[in-house]
Amino acid sequence: MEINTERTDGVLVINAEGRIDGSNSAQFLESIQAVVSDDDNGVVLDFGGINYISSAGLRVILLLAKELRQKQTGFGVCSLSSSVKEIFTISGFDQIIAIFDSGADAVSSLK
Amino acid sequence: MASEKRSRRSGEAGPETSHTYPYKILVVDDEPDLQPLILQRMRRPIRAGKYVFTFAQNGVEALQKLNAEPDIDMVVSDINMPQMDGLTLLEQIPSVNPNIRSVIISAYGDMQNIRTAMNRGAFDFVTKPLDFKDLRHTIARTLRNLVEWREALASRDQLVVLQNELDVASKIQQSILPTEFPQHDNYGIHASMEPARNVGGDFYDILMLERDHVGLAIADVSDKGVPASLFMMSSRTLLKGTAIGLPQPGDVLSDVNDLLYEENETAMFVTVFYAVYSPMTGEMTYANGGHNPPLLIHADGSSEFVPQIGGIALGIAQGIPFPQKTLTLERGDTLLLYTDGVTEAMNAESEEFGVERLQTIFRDTPPTSAQATNDAVFAAVHAFAGDTPQSDDITCLSISRV
Repeated sequence: MEINTERTDGVLVINAEGRIDGSNSAQFLESIQAVVSDDDNGVVLDFGGINYISSAGLRVILLLAKELRQKQTGFGVCSLSSSVKEIFTISGFDQIIAIFDSGADAVSSLK
Repeated sequence: MASEKRSRRSGEAGPETSHTYPYKILVVDDEPDLQPLILQRMRRPIRAGKYVFTFAQNGVEALQKLNAEPDIDMVVSDINMPQMDGLTLLEQIPSVNPNIRSVIISAYGDMQNIRTAMNRGAFDFVTKPLDFKDLRHTIARTLRNLVEWREALASRDQLVVLQNELDVASKIQQSILPTEFPQHDNYGIHASMEPARNVGGDFYDILMLERDHVGLAIADVSDKGVPASLFMMSSRTLLKGTAIGLPQPGDVLSDVNDLLYEENETAMFVTVFYAVYSPMTGEMTYANGGHNPPLLIHADGSSEFVPQIGGIALGIAQGIPFPQKTLTLERGDTLLLYTDGVTEAMNAESEEFGVERLQTIFRDTPPTSAQATNDAVFAAVHAFAGDTPQSDDITCLSISRV
């Protein structure tokens, strides 16, 4: 799975596209871990291009959230499609992961 | 002496891969002078304990040797011999030992026989008069190939073993799920799971509680494979143990959540819908740990999803409360619990089955029983998915109030 990254005001914004499921979730986690730096104030997953996330994908988000919490780095997701948002709501992930409407919102909150 | 051996060996490329030396090489030739010549010219690797040579005069004798000595690794054979020639021998070798490599000795320039030999499975050839330096290299190269082949075979066998273990894990997963369901004058219960090819993490449970109450659980562990199936088994055990002691579903999920969280290094989680049904009143008290909302289907075919009441998948966060709520099953109502293997089943166009199709199933044909409800869901999902491979476990648990 391809990811694109940019840093704005010390916040790493990670763009991904397509599906996150059991077939690529491990690779997704590895590629994110490879780009996150200790200097980042915050990390945001921009899910604007993600149309499906399975429970294996949610687990990757949970692992990332745990890792970043230990480093005291802010973390959130943004630009969820309605179907992905529903998965977050049903599983209760919306109660433990910060969700932002847009990348700009996330950056201004986490910088 | 030792240093002499080392210096002599250094110029020769040996098979250098793990094998219990020596390799055993059968040389087949009707020329009696060849035996002492080979032993003389190959004395270095023989002394170094790398090769052992054994000899046969013709193809018939060679086959007898191959049968009697199954530890022979390779054959070096002449072509023209009495009784059975080298080309016939080549044809016979695989039936005796399919993992033997053969090198043929041919007359210089005899391309026709060389081609025939290669087509009959010879690994390589050398020409007469024998160039022993070339023969040593050819033997070493042939044995390297043999070792790689054997390692590939061993890897394949290991894969088969692993696949068998996965199959066992999958069978265990299924074998712990109840397949006999309580039958009662006032209600019927039925549940079924269709596992995906990988070991998945769906489970359901039906618990007979005090005062004729019935505990109903459906759950889905994040991810697949053996770790997920272990997490699923511990989730199921904890849920069962906790539910038998606690009457309130919210308390049950809260306790199981904390127990799972304590030993959860791998950030796995499980979504669980758990309800306690009271057959006398039709009341169903439920709590939801991040699971898909069940569908309440009425006798007229109309339906609605059970309201979301908050609650998070289990194993993620510690000490969180799980709200609970009570709904009432009227006579003729069916409550369908399912996993996302149903709603996220895909067709060839990569469309999801979705929640609307789930409701549509019953609009014109209301459920007649718990089992009929599940059967209708599986049939609709199969019809929708067609030949698209199933990527997740599909699980349904239904309860109908009679």
